[in-house]
Amino acid sequence: MQQRETEAGRSIPGQPDMWAFVLFESVVFTSYFTVYLVRRTQSPALFLQAQAKLSLAVGVFNTLVLLASSWSIARCVQAARERSFSAASTNALLTAFFGLVFLVSKVREWASEIGKGYGFTADEFFSFYYFLTAIHFLHLLIGGIALGIVVRELRSPARRSLELIETCATYWHTVDYLWVLIFALLYVVR
Amino acid sequence: MNEKRELWIGWWTLVVFYNLYGLLFFVITRTQPPPRPALEPSEIVRWFADRHDGLLYGYAIVFIVGGATAIMNATLAYTMRRMSVSRAFAYAYLLIYALATLPGMLLMGIACTVGAMRPDRDPALMSWLYDFAFLSFEGTMGVFLIGSLIWMVAVLLDQNGVFPKWFGYLNLCNALTEVVVAPAWIFQSGVFAWNGAIAWWINMGVFVVYTIVFLTLIRRLILREDFGTGPLPELRTDAAA
Amino acid sequence: MSRTDGELLLLWTLPGVAVIWLSAFLLFPGFVHPMSPALSAEEVAAFYRDPENLPRIRYSMILFNWFAVGFVPILALIALQIRRMAHRTPIFAYAIIACAAGGPTIFLMADLFWLLAAFRPMRDPQLTLLFNDLAWVTFSSQVGFLIAQSVILALAIYLDRQERPVFPSWVAHFNLVVAALLIPAAFVGAAMTGPLAWNGVLTFWVRNAAVGLWIVVMAVVLGRAIRRQRAEDEAAAG
Repeated sequence: MQQRETEAGRSIPGQPDMWAFVLFESVVFTSYFTVYLVRRTQSPALFLQAQAKLSLAVGVFNTLVLLASSWSIARCVQAARERSFSAASTNALLTAFFGLVFLVSKVREWASEIGKGYGFTADEFFSFYYFLTAIHFLHLLIGGIALGIVVRELRSPARRSLELIETCATYWHTVDYLWVLIFALLYVVR
Repeated sequence: MNEKRELWIGWWTLVVFYNLYGLLFFVITRTQPPPRPALEPSEIVRWFADRHDGLLYGYAIVFIVGGATAIMNATLAYTMRRMSVSRAFAYAYLLIYALATLPGMLLMGIACTVGAMRPDRDPALMSWLYDFAFLSFEGTMGVFLIGSLIWMVAVLLDQNGVFPKWFGYLNLCNALTEVVVAPAWIFQSGVFAWNGAIAWWINMGVFVVYTIVFLTLIRRLILREDFGTGPLPELRTDAAA
Repeated sequence: MSRTDGELLLLWTLPGVAVIWLSAFLLFPGFVHPMSPALSAEEVAAFYRDPENLPRIRYSMILFNWFAVGFVPILALIALQIRRMAHRTPIFAYAIIACAAGGPTIFLMADLFWLLAAFRPMRDPQLTLLFNDLAWVTFSSQVGFLIAQSVILALAIYLDRQERPVFPSWVAHFNLVVAALLIPAAFVGAAMTGPLAWNGVLTFWVRNAAVGLWIVVMAVVLGRAIRRQRAEDEAAAG
C-alpha cells in the first residue's frame, strides 16, 4: 500500500476503500432523503408549517462553518503533499475547531427547539429533523476521530502517511457534503 | 483442504443458517416483514390466530437450530484470531454475540410461542406479548452495535490483510443501523416504527448487503488461509478449489 | 505433587451442584407431578396461591437461581479439553464457550419467570398464567444451546484424529443421541396435552433425563480425561 504514495499522478486520493464507503453511505442517506420527500408530499401543509419553526439563519451559519472546515482540511492535505507539515497540522486543528463550532451550534439549536416544545415526537417533520441531524451529528463525531488520526499522523516523522491523511480528509468532505444536502432539504426547500 | 475442514464447517453453517433463517422468519412464521405496532388488541389476537401453526412449528425449528449461532460466531471470531491484532478482539466479539442470540432472537420465539399457544388469552396480555416479541427482536441494539465496532477496529488495524479495509467501514454502516432502529422504541407508527421504511426496510437492506458481503469475504479468507501468523497470501485463481 | 490449578476442585463441585439441583427439582411442586398446560388461569392461580405450594415454589426457585450457572465450570473444562484435540483452529472450543454462555442463562430466565409468578399470587389470574406459561415454555423449549453443545462436541471428537484422542468416540455417539432426545421439547407450544406438552413424556421426562444423563456421563468422562492429562504432563516433566 505504501507504493501508492510515491506514484506521481495518482488517480484517487486516499484509500479507494473510503470512496466505496462514501458511495455506500450516500446511497443510504439518499434513501432516507427519498423517504422524507415522499412523506412530505403526503402532508405538505404540516411540513411547511413545522419547517417555519426552524431558524434559517442558524442553518446558514452551520453550513458556512462546515464549508470553512472543508476548505481548511483541503489546505491541510495540500500542505501535507508539499511536506510543510506544521502548516498541515495547523489546518487540521483549524478544521477541528470549525467542527466543534458546528457541534456546539447544533446542540444549542436542538436545546432551543426542544425548549419551545418541538421535540422528537412533536410532529412528523420534527421526527425527521432530529433523526437526520442526529445521524449527521454522529458522523461528525466520527469525523472528529478521523481528524485525530490526521493530527497524530502529522506529529511524528515516522508516520505521516499521505494516504491515511487523504482518506480521513475524504471522510470529512463527505460529512460536509451530507450536511449541505440535509440543510437544503430541511431548511431551504419550503 | 483437509486442514480447512473446520473452517468450511463454520462457513457452511453460516450459509445454511442464514438461508434457513430467511425461510423461518419470512415464510413459515411470517413475522418478517413485521406487522404494524398500531394494531388494536382484538386485531393482535387475530394476527396470532392467523399464524397459529406457523408460529408454533416455525419457532420450534428456530429453537432447535438456534445454537448454530455458536459455530457461526466462533468462525467470525476466528477471522480476528488470524489478524495481527490482539486476541482480545476475538474473545470480546465471541462473548458479545454469544449472548446476543437470547434477547435478539430467542425471546421473540418464546413470546410468539406463548402468544400463539393460548388463543383465548386476555387480549391486553396478547398485546403485551406482541410488543415483547417485536421490540426485543428489533430493539436489541447494543450487542450488534458494539460487536460490529469491534470487528471494524480489528479490520482497520489488521496488518495481515485478512479483510479489505472497506469491509471495516461496512461494519460501521452495520453498527449505525443499530442507532437508526432506536426510534422504534418510541414510535408506534410511521417510518421510524418497528415496521417503518427507515427503521426496518432500509435497515434490512443494509444488513442483507452486509451479510452477503461477509459471507463472500470469509469464503475468500478460507481459500487463502495458510494457518500462519503473518499476512495472508492473495487468492491464486488456479487454486480456487 | 499435583499442580493446584483448581481444575479438580471445579470438577468436584459438580456432585455438590447436582445434589442441590436434584433437591430443588424435588422441592418444586410443579415438577414432581408436572403441571399441565391445559389448566385454566384460575387453576394456575390456585396452584400458586396454595399455602402448601407457595413456599416450596419460592425456595426451590431461589435455589435454582443461585445455582443455575453451576455447571458452567464443567463446560469451561470441556472447552479446555477440546483445545487439546488435534484440531487446526480453535473454532470448536470457541463454539462450546458460546453455548456455555447461552444455556444456563436461558434456564435462569425461566427461573425468574417462575419466581415472578409466585411473587404476587393474589394478582389477576391471567397474569399468573402468563408468567407460568413464559416460565414453562422457556424451560422446555430452549434446547438450542444444549443441542448445539452436544453436536459440536461430537464433531470435535470425530475430527480429533490422533493416536489417543482426548475423548473416546462413544462419547461422540452418546452426545448425538442426547441431542436427538432434546429435539421434541422444542415443540412444546404445539401441544397442550400428550407427549409434547410441557408435562408430557418427551418434553418433560425424556428431555430432563437426557440432560441429567449428559451431566453425569460427561462428568465421569471429563474426570478421566483430566486425570490422564495430568499423568501425561507429569510423565513428560519427570
